Amino acid sequence: MNRTQKGAWFMLGGALLLIAFGIYIFAVMFVAGDRMAGTGWLRVGSLPLTLFLIAGVFFIRRKQSASEPDSDEREKAIARKSFVWASYSFWLFCACASFGIFFVVGAKSVVPAYILPVVFLAGLFLAQFVESAAILIQFARETADE
Amino acid sequence: MSSDYLTNQVRRLRFEHGQMTQQQLADKVGVTRQTIIAIEGGNYAPSLPLAFRIARTFDVTIEQVFRYEDEQT
Repeated sequence: MNRTQKGAWFMLGGALLLIAFGIYIFAVMFVAGDRMAGTGWLRVGSLPLTLFLIAGVFFIRRKQSASEPDSDEREKAIARKSFVWASYSFWLFCACASFGIFFVVGAKSVVPAYILPVVFLAGLFLAQFVESAAILIQFARETADE
Repeated sequence: MSSDYLTNQVRRLRFEHGQMTQQQLADKVGVTRQTIIAIEGGNYAPSLPLAFRIARTFDVTIEQVFRYEDEQT
């Protein structure tokens, strides 16, 4: 597995972990409420994320051989194509979310301000998923053709 | 990135040059072994600089390594 593939797996795993962490925070703040006093729950929840980040850095930096380049032209071409797909998905998601909200709540209705950053962040997560998946699929297709 | 009309003799030239491994060729031309595998399998068309580096590694011309099959041939 080359560095680009490792990076794609790492970003996929990191995005899933962040989503899980977000659900954990939501559950603590809005479900558990006063029963979870203090910040101990935040430290416990942050531990898997921190360990994952540290392990991920070592995982990505480890090379198959000492002479392996960090990234060659083929990997850059695959990464470029994947980034384009991620950009398309981000804009498509933001457009669908904007018009979806417009048609669901109506033209003259009011939505909370936090909706905007939520849509933006959700779009970023989706773009990261698409980019990582596109990288891994392109590498897998080349391997399958052998 | 596959090229239906570009064929190459990289694998044959590797064996003719002291049974060179894919990793050794990759180290000489500055790419990963996976890229060499993709080139030999016809799944990736190298850039001109890379194609020239491969040809010079084998001390042959670029036309002796890569061949472009026209649609009409």
